[in-house]
Amino acid sequence: MVHQPIIIAEDVHKWYGKFHVLQGVSLTINAGEVVVIMGPSGSGKSTFIRTFNALEDYQQGRIVIDGIQLSDDLRNIDAIRQEVGMVFQQFNLFPHLTVLQNITLAPIWVRKWGKGQAQDTALQLLERVGILEQAHKFPGQLSGGQQQRVAIARALAMQPKIMLFDEPTSALDPEMVREVLDVMRSLATSGMTMVVVTHEVGFAREVADRIVLMDAGMLVEQATPTEFFHNPQEERTRRFLAQIL
Amino acid sequence: MNSWLRKNLFNTWYNTLLTLVCLLGIYQIVTGVGNWLLTQARWDVVATNLNLLLVGRYPASQIWRLWLVGAIGVLLVGVSLVRPRLQPALKARLTPLLLGLWPLSLVLCFWLIAGGAGLLPVGTNLWGGLLLTLLVAFVSTVLAFPLSVVLAVGRQSTLPLVRWFCTGYIELIRGLPLIGILFMAQVMLPLVLPAEWRLDRLLRAIAGLVLFNAAYLAENVRGGLQAVPRGQTEAAKALGLNTPLILVLIVLPQAIRTVIPAIVGQFISLFKDTSLLSLFALLELTGIARSVLAQPQFLGRYAEVYLFVGLLYWIFCYTLARVSQRWEKPVASRL
Repeated sequence: MVHQPIIIAEDVHKWYGKFHVLQGVSLTINAGEVVVIMGPSGSGKSTFIRTFNALEDYQQGRIVIDGIQLSDDLRNIDAIRQEVGMVFQQFNLFPHLTVLQNITLAPIWVRKWGKGQAQDTALQLLERVGILEQAHKFPGQLSGGQQQRVAIARALAMQPKIMLFDEPTSALDPEMVREVLDVMRSLATSGMTMVVVTHEVGFAREVADRIVLMDAGMLVEQATPTEFFHNPQEERTRRFLAQIL
Repeated sequence: MNSWLRKNLFNTWYNTLLTLVCLLGIYQIVTGVGNWLLTQARWDVVATNLNLLLVGRYPASQIWRLWLVGAIGVLLVGVSLVRPRLQPALKARLTPLLLGLWPLSLVLCFWLIAGGAGLLPVGTNLWGGLLLTLLVAFVSTVLAFPLSVVLAVGRQSTLPLVRWFCTGYIELIRGLPLIGILFMAQVMLPLVLPAEWRLDRLLRAIAGLVLFNAAYLAENVRGGLQAVPRGQTEAAKALGLNTPLILVLIVLPQAIRTVIPAIVGQFISLFKDTSLLSLFALLELTGIARSVLAQPQFLGRYAEVYLFVGLLYWIFCYTLARVSQRWEKPVASRL
């Protein structure tokens, strides 16, 4: 596989008022790579990946997604958002639409697909995430794990090149974490570029190509899972691992 | 039964006293009203003027047109109400049909009422009674609602000029009494509008009602907009939807559903506010009641006429309230 950078973040700074959330973060992610971002809460990891699809702005630095530089130009932002899917901690499914409508909405209105094509794709995706039989239910009738799988299918329906996961299992009951991680695992093996903010050590160890530790708005260390867990270079990483393992 | 009585109504000496006083009061009211209804009330005033109260001076030979309008309305509303309970396949086929039928029937009904193009024309000065009340209420509601959505969205706009204008409009109107706005609409609109646009009195009244109610409805809708979680907009943005699409497809449907009770409350209040039009010589239900009471042979029959008119208002308001409860239910089970 040719490793071409698909996400380039250079010296990204962000302030909330006086609070310096991102203090010069640089990270390059190659196509097909699975990067897990870990770190204590408040370290800026969610904020960082939310800058990739312009849900958060930044004041300094440069971000290039799939060759398009993020700027204030709305057309640029729309173009990038069509290539970048996102899965949220709180699922954020549209409660007034059925599962099928949730998934076909963006392909129909943004990609301008016909209804038939959008539905066929949606049903395939639902089968892939294992909840085909729920297609005509409303999100409120599903369990948390099922909702999150719908959310993944919804993001995949736009056929993105990159998938961002913002703590996808943190709002789930423990017995439902696995079904969501299984879907993410199979997505990773399919060659999707994934950036995952998570506290799931098992997933990181097993699926990640690279693990990144963030703390206090800065990137502390990046390494392969083996290196990261068994031979961390930074004192801060050792302290973090001591707390979570 | 006995023990329930003793426990709840006669458990202490002062509760016993209170119960007895209340019973006496209820007895007085029931016998008084019953006695009046059965022996003194003379309903001939309503019977003689029934047509006048229901349709005003609409020509008797043309009343069949109104029956037709009523039938179309009942049919359309009925089908729309049962639609959510039908099987999905039937429902899917019915939805586009209804979407086409609604505007079509509105045009048809207006033509039936006003006439022209083959039918005997009936001028607005002949419309009256319940017909006029329903018509004014319906038209004002249909016009005020979209205007209110625009105002509510405008009030949340990031463009300062739009936001200031909408906020200013809403706060100005909410600070004025309806009756004042209706007077302004009658007197001021002709001054503001070009001379060729000579709106008739009815249209000016409707304009007043629309401008007034849009401001109140806008605040209800705004409440709904604020109740939609931020994550909804973020998820829609992340999918690449632009701002207008997010508003129309994601935010507004959820916002409006959460505030249906408040919106219907405003519709009901609008319906009853149409009675103020009687002050502008419009013979809607209340206006026509006043003119009936001016007939020499029925002088002083206030109770009969106003009871009947009140009953009509109540029937329509109550129906509206019940129907709105149905709209709320499927939403509640979804969330």
